[in-house]
Amino acid sequence: MSEAVKIVEKQIIPSEATMIVGLPDVGLVGLIATSYIITELNLEEIAYMDSDLLPPVMVLHQGLPRAPLRFYGNQKFIAVISELAVPAPAIYTIMRKIVDWGQAKKVKRIISMGGIPVENRQAITEPKVFGSASNQELLDGLTKSGVKIMNEGYMVGPQALSMRYSINNNVPSIAILAQSFYNYPDPQAAAIVLKELSKIFDVNVDVSKLLEKGEEIRLKARDIMKRTQEEMSRMKKSQEYDMPLYV
Amino acid sequence: MPEKPRKRSIFDVMGEYVEVFDALADELLEATFPEGPSWNIETCCLQALSNVFVTSREVVITADMPNIEPETVKVEAVDETVIQITAKMKKKVRFADLGIYHRQGEFSALRCQDRIQVPFDSEKMKISFTGGILEVRFPRKS
Repeated sequence: MSEAVKIVEKQIIPSEATMIVGLPDVGLVGLIATSYIITELNLEEIAYMDSDLLPPVMVLHQGLPRAPLRFYGNQKFIAVISELAVPAPAIYTIMRKIVDWGQAKKVKRIISMGGIPVENRQAITEPKVFGSASNQELLDGLTKSGVKIMNEGYMVGPQALSMRYSINNNVPSIAILAQSFYNYPDPQAAAIVLKELSKIFDVNVDVSKLLEKGEEIRLKARDIMKRTQEEMSRMKKSQEYDMPLYV
Repeated sequence: MPEKPRKRSIFDVMGEYVEVFDALADELLEATFPEGPSWNIETCCLQALSNVFVTSREVVITADMPNIEPETVKVEAVDETVIQITAKMKKKVRFADLGIYHRQGEFSALRCQDRIQVPFDSEKMKISFTGGILEVRFPRKS
């Protein structure tokens, strides 16, 4: 039987890199932020995912077919994006494979960027960013960098699994999440996440172009947002609004 | 002498029925095949993302309306249960602007239609537009 999920490497994968995961999720914050990093840092496609768990889709760019879930990188970073809403039932296998592969490639850490859905988002001019980490040392590091900690709450979906499998595999993992729209693409939240990322790590990304292109991105992202919303409902993403009980 | 109102012919009546039937068929098709495109070349409209929230007193519709001229926003009740929001875009968008050359079409407006599950007063709406998000509030009818 063939592997359910395969990562096909196109070139030598750097080790000791920081892996950034931006799969479609709340407000497409992680996807927009990670795509922008790929463009700004001029990262090259280094691998892609092949899996029967993903819909039978290829994306055409400049006339050439590309796998929707791809890995980009240079010596310092590996960025993971998907131009396809990952089907809810496949998310476990897909995320486990990404984290296992990252561990095999000796990544230093895994960072997931994303959104925290807030109901009154349109009333918020400057969304706040919150962080969470797989261990206390990393959490202290975030606090030192001035990132507010998400003390109590639920994480659902790709970020939750990235964190879960990173802990299982003992790979340091951080989530950086900005207040965002739930099902409207939110380039402003993505820009704010990137600003926060540059405070923590040595990655200098000028977000001015991202903010300038905000309206264009929102128009272009309507379709993937709609499909992502369907998958988020299947994942019970709205549980992120819940209050956890731990007495 | 004032002209007598012309009696409606059977063809007029049938024409009206056909219009109603067409509208219903369109609605049914949209509900049955949600896989349709998020654009309509005939109406030159791109579909806007929208949400409906129903509270105990109000019905609140929000719509993501980037690149629009706020003064062109039109909110109308299609019937007692459906609200349509349209707005002209600041700049027309062609498929080619999005790098798509195998389709032809130009879009000048954003549009969404939302079905409201509770009775509401469409005459008393309040509209606001903040950060590209349109919010329309209707009081609920008891």
